[in-house]
Parts: sequence; C-alpha cells; structure tokens
Amino acid sequence: MSLDRHLSDSRDHALAFEQQINLTVLGLGAAVRHIVIAVYARGHVLLEGAVGVGKTTLLRAVAQGLGGDFQRIEGTIDLMPADLLYYTYLANDGRPAVEPGPLLKHGDTLATFFFNEINRARPQVHALLLRAMAERSIHAFNRDYALPHIQVFADRNRVEKEETFELPAAAKDRFMMEINITMPSDNASLEQLMFNPRFHDTDALIAEIAPGTRYYELNSLAHTLQQQIQASPKLRDYALTLWKASHQPQHYGVQLSDVDMSQLMLAGASPRGMSYLIRAAKVSAWLAQRDYLLPEDIQAVFAVCMSHRLFLNPMYAYRKDQLLPELMNGILQQVAAP
Amino acid sequence: MRILFVLFLFVLGCSSSVDEPIRYFKVETPRPFGYVNGDEISQRILFETRPGISLERASLPGKGPLNRWLNLNDIRVSQADDQHYQIDLRYQIFYAPLEVKALTLPSFELQLNQGEQRLSQTVPAWTFTLSPLRELVVRQTEQGEYMRPDSLPPLLNTRPALYGLLASVLIALALAVALAWQYGYLAFNGRRRLFKKALRTVSGISKSDMATGLQALHHCLNTLNGQPLFVHQLADFYQRHPHYQSLHAQWLWFFNYSNRFYFSPGMTVVSGDIQQLKTLCQLARSIERGSR
Repeated sequence: MSLDRHLSDSRDHALAFEQQINLTVLGLGAAVRHIVIAVYARGHVLLEGAVGVGKTTLLRAVAQGLGGDFQRIEGTIDLMPADLLYYTYLANDGRPAVEPGPLLKHGDTLATFFFNEINRARPQVHALLLRAMAERSIHAFNRDYALPHIQVFADRNRVEKEETFELPAAAKDRFMMEINITMPSDNASLEQLMFNPRFHDTDALIAEIAPGTRYYELNSLAHTLQQQIQASPKLRDYALTLWKASHQPQHYGVQLSDVDMSQLMLAGASPRGMSYLIRAAKVSAWLAQRDYLLPEDIQAVFAVCMSHRLFLNPMYAYRKDQLLPELMNGILQQVAAP
Repeated sequence: MRILFVLFLFVLGCSSSVDEPIRYFKVETPRPFGYVNGDEISQRILFETRPGISLERASLPGKGPLNRWLNLNDIRVSQADDQHYQIDLRYQIFYAPLEVKALTLPSFELQLNQGEQRLSQTVPAWTFTLSPLRELVVRQTEQGEYMRPDSLPPLLNTRPALYGLLASVLIALALAVALAWQYGYLAFNGRRRLFKKALRTVSGISKSDMATGLQALHHCLNTLNGQPLFVHQLADFYQRHPHYQSLHAQWLWFFNYSNRFYFSPGMTVVSGDIQQLKTLCQLARSIERGSR
C-alpha cells in the first residue's frame, strides 16, 4: 500500500473514530477534535472541567475506540508512587504476595491510562508519572518495563482547591494539551442528556462503540505523518514569532486590561511545548486532508497546547483564569502570517 | 465685332491694376471733430503691395514733435505677410484754441523699393476740428472755484461680487476637499488610501514578485482590520466593514491562494493569478473610494 493511501485510509479511520465519540458524548465537538489530534500526535492530555460534564465518559469512549487496555486510577492524598507499581496482599495460602500494580499489570498493551483527579495526588506520584509520560517506561522490580503505547489522560477538578497539590511545571509541560471540558450550551443537547435514557447508562453507552484494535499502529502512523506534513519557511517564521510572543507579548502589541505587560510573564512556552504544538498542528492539517501546514492549523491547537505552559507573574497569577485566554487570543490576533 | 469684343476683354484683363505697385491702400481715421487739447488721435494705414515690392521703413515719420502743436507718440509697422502692411500711428495734440478750429495732420510719403527702383505712395493729410476746454474768461461764481479738479467718480458697489467670489471659493474648496477625500489624498485619511497603495504596488508586479503583491494586500486587510486578518475571521471583518462583503468569493480566493503560495510546496504562479489579484485590488479600491 502506498504511503499516501495508507495516510488517507488512516485519516478515514480517525474521522470515523471522532464521529463515533461525538455520538457518545454530546456537545463536546471541539474537545473531541482536540483529543483525536492528541491521540494521533501521541501526546498526553490534561482534562479540566467541572464535575459530571462527561470527562470520564469521554475518556472511556476514546479508550474503547482505540482498543488496547484501559486503566484508571483515582488520585487521593494518600496515594503513593508504589501504589501505581504493585500491591501486596495475603494470598490464599496465608503468605504475603506481590502483584503488578495498575501501571504494570497490562504490560505493553496498556494504551490508555486515566489518572482521575491528578491534583489530589502527592508530588511524589506526579514525579513517577513524569517518567512514564516522557519515556514511556517504568522502573520496577529492578528492571525497566516498556509501555510503548501508553497515553496518559489526567483529569483536574477545578472546583475544589482543598487538599490538592498543584501540578509542578515540569509535569504540566509533559502534557501535550490541556483541554477544558465544558457543558454543552445548546438546549437540544442538554435536553437529550437529561431525558434520553441512552445517556443514563454509561456502560451501555460505551459498549455501543465498536472496540478498536488499532492502538498499536498509532506510534508508527504518528511518525509517518509527522514526516509527511511539510512546514514552509514562512510558516516556520510564523511559529517562531508565536513562540517569541509567548515570552514577550508586549513586544508584539499584545495589551491586556489592567496589566503591566512587561511584568506579566514569568515563563513562556518551552521548546518541548512548541514541538508539541507543531506535532498537534500537523495532525490537524492531516485531518483536513492537507500535506502542508497552515497558520490555521497552529491556531486551532494553540490555546490547548499553550494554556498550561504559560506562567504568569505571581502578582497576576490569581487572575490567570481570566488573563490566560485573553493573552493567547491576543497573541494569535497580533501575530500576522504572512 | 466678336474679335473686337474679345480684344476688349483682353485689354480689360490686362488692366492697370496688375502693374500698380500698390494693389490696395486705405487710411482708417477716427471721427474728425470733438477733440480737445491733449487728446490722442490714432490713424491706421493698410496697404498691399505687389510681390517684390517692400516698404522702406526709413521713410516713415520718426517719433517726436512733428510741428509746434503735434507730437507723434508712437508708430508701429506690422506685416501679415510680405505684401500686407499695417501701420499704426498715434498722434497727440497740444493746442489750446480759443474757439472751434480746424487743424490738419500733415501728409507724408511712403517710400517703396522694387529692387533698385523707388516708388512712393502719399498718405493724405487729414483735417479735424479742435474745441476749447473752457470759455475764454474764467468766471468766479458762488459755486466755488471754476478751475478745479473733477469730482471723484462714484465707486461701484463691489459687495455682491465679493460675496459671489467668497461663495465660489468656498464651494471650490469644499469640492476640492470632497475630491481629496474620495481619492484618499488627505494625510489623516490613511484608511481610505490603503487599497490605492496596494493597487499601485500590485500594478507593477511580475510573476516573480507575487509575494510582494500578496504581502501588499495582506497589509491592507490587516491595517483595515486593526489586527492580522485570517480567513476564518472574515465574518467579523464584514461586520465592521460591510461594504467589502460583496467581494466574499474573491477574498476566499485570495486567502486560499495566499495560503497555497506561502505554505504549500511546489506552487507555480501563472499570469492569470496576477491579473486576478489586480482585479481584486481594483474592486477593493473602488469600494474604498465609495464608488461601488
């Protein structure tokens, strides 16, 4: 099969996959598109949103559609790193036994790892997750376990702040995207969610999705499409300008209300963040049936790839929920291409 | 008898006018009465000579006093061609008669040259009457000094003309400002000159300068929009600048073309693309001027 045909067929699968998820969770089209992009760019995703808006359902649907093993763990304040690796118990014969924990027990077929309420776990757990996310391997029982297909989805509940640990910058930076899951806004979707029994039984809803078996192809597909999608010199200039603007927005004409722009930024996007941005943008171009990047591709994923990487000065950090979207919007609006 | 008639016609055809050195001669003079001391009298002499005959200009009277009461102020000779002459003379009289008196401008001879031969033509004397300015005896009356300057002429009322002039100037200024606005000449009116400048740039580009043309148009749109304009923001752009919505299809073409030009590999520019860009610029310019 030619390369173009392979990419074209895979795109059809990806779009069908997206459509299936959109039938399962209503009114989250933009978030679903971002998750599909993250899946095909092989990036980890941080989900954020209120309680009961469908984050878990969405992830279960993604896991079901992708195939492979799905593992979920709840973040709690007493969760320790070892709890992810193994657990001990008394066996039937009365002797202590050790079994692989949630990260290890599926071996290399673990495709989707869902860390619920990650901000309730201690920083030690975050640290363990860093390696699993960055290197896709874990060291336990005196040897390395490869997790080649793992994709981490973490959920952060923004409603409660008590007994939570803010994710360190290094951990945040390893997530490709931070996707905000909001309630559907249209009345028809809300009515469906309330009155249609189909959406009341999550297990039955997820079971409607045909189990996928293509998770193991994703790494090579992602590699291929990253090679195939081209970025012109002009687009590279544009991305570079965006990057610089994320560090010094005041030099690019970005102005926010009641903000001294020269004091606003503590840190802009990291090189890893920008590489994630371009990887995600290439997937967006691929889904749009193009073999070259456009500024629109970058703009489509800019906010989700950047929002958790831009750090504001402490004096403005308490307004970051308001300032960050304005800042990213301002950067996109001020940087011209070409 | 018939022969005699033909001979008569022949003789008539070879009449003396053929041999006359001056074919036409006329002295135009003004009215011969009603002159007073100090008046000027103009006299014009018109004549036509045969070919080969020219006027001897030294024979003309010189400027200056001709006699004790007559001065020749000016004499001008002009020629329409080699044969047609016009001589303008301007005399001035310095004579204070006690009663109405007839005076005569003296006659003089015009000398004409035909090779070595000299011919002459007399300009006849011209008689006119001169009147005194006042009675012989100066009277003293109760009406004041007799010998006094004339009363000042009444001034014409220039106010309506002044108002008319002011109104005309104001209207002209208003029209000039309106035209300058339309054509985007006003410096503070930069937003109405955007597409004009772009059109100037685009008009001169070739296939190799396509980037310059696209850049110029992008610059226009970005400036007009107040920030960089991308294709997905066109709806917002139309809300602020609804006149440009009529070119929606052309804008879509422009953005898609620009995307392919700048970002896709292997893009080839053809001359039709440049023409399309120019047409788009012209249409946008006409909208900018308000003529569309």
